[in-house]
Amino acid sequence: MSQIRNRSVLLAAISAIAVVTAAPVFAEEIIIGAATAQTGGLAPYDQPALAGLRMAIDELNAKGGLAGKYKVNLIIKDTRSDTAQTATVTQELIDAGAKIMITPCDADPSISAGQLTQPLGIPSLTLCGSAPVLTQAVGDVMFGTYPADNLQATAVADFAIAEGKRKVFLLTSPDATYVANLPEYFGKVFEKKGGKIVGRGTFTMNQPDFSAEITNIKGLAEQPDLIMTAAYEPDFPAFIQQLRGAGITIPVYGADAIGTPTIKALGKLVDGVVYTAAGYPEAGSKLEAFNAAFAKHAGHAPESTYEVNGYEIGLILDQAVKTAGSDDPKAIRDAIANLKDFEGITGKITYAGTDRMPLRPVVLMRYEGGEPKYVETVVPAAADVPAP
Amino acid sequence: MIAQQIINAVSLGGVYALLALGLAIVFSIVGLINFAHGELMTLTGYVLLAALIAGVPFPAAVLLAVICAAVAAVAMERIAFRPMRGASVTSLLLTSFAVSGLLKVIFQNGVSARPQAVAIPSWMTGAFSIGDFTIGVGPTISIVVSILALIALEFFLRRTVTGTAMRAAAEDFDVVRLMGIPANRIIATAFLLSGLLAGLAAMLWVASRASVDPLMGFTPVLKAFIAAVVGGLGSLPGAVAGGFLLGVIEVLLQATLPAAIAPYRDAIVLSGVIAVLLIRPQGLIPAVRVQRS
Repeated sequence: MSQIRNRSVLLAAISAIAVVTAAPVFAEEIIIGAATAQTGGLAPYDQPALAGLRMAIDELNAKGGLAGKYKVNLIIKDTRSDTAQTATVTQELIDAGAKIMITPCDADPSISAGQLTQPLGIPSLTLCGSAPVLTQAVGDVMFGTYPADNLQATAVADFAIAEGKRKVFLLTSPDATYVANLPEYFGKVFEKKGGKIVGRGTFTMNQPDFSAEITNIKGLAEQPDLIMTAAYEPDFPAFIQQLRGAGITIPVYGADAIGTPTIKALGKLVDGVVYTAAGYPEAGSKLEAFNAAFAKHAGHAPESTYEVNGYEIGLILDQAVKTAGSDDPKAIRDAIANLKDFEGITGKITYAGTDRMPLRPVVLMRYEGGEPKYVETVVPAAADVPAP
Repeated sequence: MIAQQIINAVSLGGVYALLALGLAIVFSIVGLINFAHGELMTLTGYVLLAALIAGVPFPAAVLLAVICAAVAAVAMERIAFRPMRGASVTSLLLTSFAVSGLLKVIFQNGVSARPQAVAIPSWMTGAFSIGDFTIGVGPTISIVVSILALIALEFFLRRTVTGTAMRAAAEDFDVVRLMGIPANRIIATAFLLSGLLAGLAAMLWVASRASVDPLMGFTPVLKAFIAAVVGGLGSLPGAVAGGFLLGVIEVLLQATLPAAIAPYRDAIVLSGVIAVLLIRPQGLIPAVRVQRS
């Protein structure tokens, strides 16, 4: 027994030496770890975002890497949309030498990853996690990249008020930060601007029975003229299907997570639904050019604005390494935190002076006849945006 | 309002009852809790979607999807569970988890991780009025289909030879085999029926959620399992009672709990389940089973 163990220790030692001596020396390589969901509920969001990031990194590597100097080795590991698994793979990526960490499109797993990267000072960027509490919950290494929930909610609330809507029903779920808080941010802005919350309802995510909640809405003494929710798939299709099935025609507004092919494919069912996006490809815009380039690169058109957001993360990292002038994680972190008016694809991105949730434009969209239609691009006044 | 909520409760309970019954039929005969039952639902959803995309008319697509579920259930038994026949309850349980996990990954990698929208015909999302309250077409169909399926199953089990043999097998399989009834036929029929029930439940489930995704089978099979345990594992009337009870409790709690407590709904429901099991450890309507040593 001990002989076998001795032999295997010896073998391990030999192979370790072999690896060390045989490995080619990449003095100017930087490892970026991507702890993202390839399977499970977050996969439909993480995958498009990651595809955008990969395209950016492929392009940057063709030009020599980040800042033209540090060739990127992107290591991707599947979190299976599970918060605990996210922590496990994050640790594996840290052990592999990651100097920058990319985390999933949701606050909860991103926080679990951030708790590991924070003590080590590894800058961590969530792909499209948009809960503003996310960066505060972790600390100074955590960055959001997508328009924050309170920013999106303010944009939608401003729009609803401008349309003349005054009475809202908020539908939330305590199961995820995004779904729990975004409608409440909306409610705060809405009330401040003269609107009224006439009711609140909750649901359990992934349980597609909304019948009791819908009957409650029907029974409200004061009928809302708008239902605001941050539910996404598969809950949002179930909700709207059952709502319309019960004969309720009150408009439903949401946020970025319903800007997906699945929701679009619901066709007539989602007519009039307003949601947000990170950008809109106007003719001649940078985003239009990106969409064409992405289609060429990936073999299919972007599904949403998560692709361009992922691509912009690549650009932000490139700029940060340029400013930092090194691949030192702390210097990269400082460079991102001080980024101001950085010209992305969708518009100007600013981190300086924020809680590491970027200031950037929000686009409002509306489904009409099964097609997403552009409404407007807004940058809500900072004073209107409710505190996280 | 109250009448409306009762309709909601019966409608949800009906779906749970169909699912729990599917689990119970298989359990009563082979002692297996088939956690891959949910993936039969997922498969049904994808077949429906594929048929609709291929231009098959809606009723034919539904029929095709339900048949596929039944065939898939039989195939599942033949491929995965028959080689394990006679194995311990734990081995069977793990096998069903393996089948479930495998199918989920196949759906994710073979189709898409993203939910796919299913175009439910507009007449199914409509509503009609009786007196001063409106009833959705969806819940009505759900209730009618559940009741018809339960009646048909009852008829099959009471009035046909195979049905009688299955009821006997649930009580004492060895004696049934001694009577010259082939075990394979009984077991295959049990899976066929459970597949049919899963297919019907899947249609009702998909109609109410308007999309199919690789993980959609997990929640319903969990609910069905709870319902089957509350009702009495292996007892068919128990599964139906458990399913309706679970649906009614869930809807009534959701309807009456104030918004601040509503998130604890599932905790309250499961506490109720524990309470029921403390009072009746064998479930509401325990299965009749001859003790074999």
